[in-house]
Amino acid sequence: MSITAFIGAMELGLVYSLLAFGTFISFRILNVADLTVDGSFVLGAAASAMFTVVGMPVAGIFAALMAGAIAGIITALLQTKMGIQPILSGILTMTGLYSINLMVMDGKANIPLLNKTNIFTYSENIIGTAAHKIFMLAAVISAVFIILNWFFRTQLGLSIRATGDNEDMCRASSIDTDFIKIVGFALSNSIVALSGALVAQMQQSADISMGSGMVVISFASLIIGSVIIKNKNITLGLLSVVIGSVIYRLIIALILTTSFPPSYLKLISSLVVVTALSVPNLKKRMDTNKKQRVGA
Amino acid sequence: MLKVESATKIFNKNTFDEHKALDNLSLNVEEGEFVTIIGGNGAGKSTLFNVISGSMLSDGGSVILDGEDITHMPEYRRASFIGRIFQDPMKGTAPNLTVSENLMIAYMRSTKKNILGVPSKKEKTYIREHLASLNLGLEDRMNTKIGLLSGGQRQAVTLVMATLIKPKLLLLDEHTAALDPLSAASVLELTNKIINENNITTLMITHNITSALALGTRTIMMDSGTVAIDIDGNERKELSVQDVLEKFKRVKNKIFDDDNVLL
Repeated sequence: MSITAFIGAMELGLVYSLLAFGTFISFRILNVADLTVDGSFVLGAAASAMFTVVGMPVAGIFAALMAGAIAGIITALLQTKMGIQPILSGILTMTGLYSINLMVMDGKANIPLLNKTNIFTYSENIIGTAAHKIFMLAAVISAVFIILNWFFRTQLGLSIRATGDNEDMCRASSIDTDFIKIVGFALSNSIVALSGALVAQMQQSADISMGSGMVVISFASLIIGSVIIKNKNITLGLLSVVIGSVIYRLIIALILTTSFPPSYLKLISSLVVVTALSVPNLKKRMDTNKKQRVGA
Repeated sequence: MLKVESATKIFNKNTFDEHKALDNLSLNVEEGEFVTIIGGNGAGKSTLFNVISGSMLSDGGSVILDGEDITHMPEYRRASFIGRIFQDPMKGTAPNLTVSENLMIAYMRSTKKNILGVPSKKEKTYIREHLASLNLGLEDRMNTKIGLLSGGQRQAVTLVMATLIKPKLLLLDEHTAALDPLSAASVLELTNKIINENNITTLMITHNITSALALGTRTIMMDSGTVAIDIDGNERKELSVQDVLEKFKRVKNKIFDDDNVLL
């Protein structure tokens, strides 16, 4: 792998680790596979792109954070107050967001951001061309990491973790689990949108279809991360997310150096997730079969 | 302290399967009373608890606790002053959170002023010392995930969580029924100790008539959604398990006779 390809993979790994932070909150902490992500990722990118076009890249980042939070709140409301199944709630929001995203992007499927000032222009001005994006991304991720690491130790954060773990117990401890889920999904999708916002500015375009498969990609990162660091506590859990995301991108970059067609990447991501989620069960089943055979 | 007035709960109303789980039931519990509740399956014991704790709303009647009408208050708000423990030891604690974190969740019931506050050293020490005072040997395992503890230990922690901040009312729903005899005995002993030391108003459902009579200050027997027998004081002290069974049979037969009359 060339240095450029390596740096590129690192950049992607870092920027998509924000996405994985988001799904870490919904999938690992709240215990719900939240499919809103495919839509809120694009929503973040769209919001960020529209502000970048008019020369306000930083405002675009904050707009993305807000928009993502709103998307998360809608999914949570569908789930809690309207009683729609968690998976379906996410699908409904994601589907609706497709139209919203097009609306945000002024009805265009693609917003090019070439030669527009973006937040990476600032880092280039300070550090110079070499790997400046990595520094910028590392700074953003460190900030998110520190905030999340603190947040999940507060009373509210602890309540979110407990709600995903045992909802009955939370209600018995006088926690309004509906409110907790709303906060959790808002936070999760807000960070997902942040990821989309940074991707748009980094790749200098926002595209209506850039969100497809994001849920699976982030799950693959979570799973790779949890294999490397067994989730002992929240700090290590968050750290494993970043490491998983970077390794996932390095694997993809390695595959790309071969003659393997890139169009197979999503299939590979799916297979990684399928394998990781099914291996423990298959192993158990095989053990049982073996014991049954010995018993007979 | 607790006043349940003509509570009624009907399942499958106006259908063939209509079942009156609570039938115009009234119950008055004084402050500091420890009431044990017995009764056959389907007598309405758990429904009574559901209505008091708010996980179910009654179809009629009212629930008044400490002078406040809580008949329609949402479950999670009542939970700040009603502690409830279920039969299933898995239900009362969050398995992936540590002992310390679980207790902190329970402790927060009273200290909700700052939801973005991180538990202080002082609070952590208080919780640890509280746990240590109960001689469960868990104070050295504060950072162990609850899921790694045994059912008995988990139920003990649940009990500590429910009483960490003294509740106005404690509801115990056969909380030792799923444990092995040894763990059940020690959890029951702990229950008795905590309730007596803190003078907590308690209702306890049990299928064990011996412990229903041995523990607490008053025993009621439920049948078909009503209070069939209500005994306390000396009368209760002199009662044997056999007497209770006799009484129970008499109640059952009476209803059976009534049915015959109807038919």
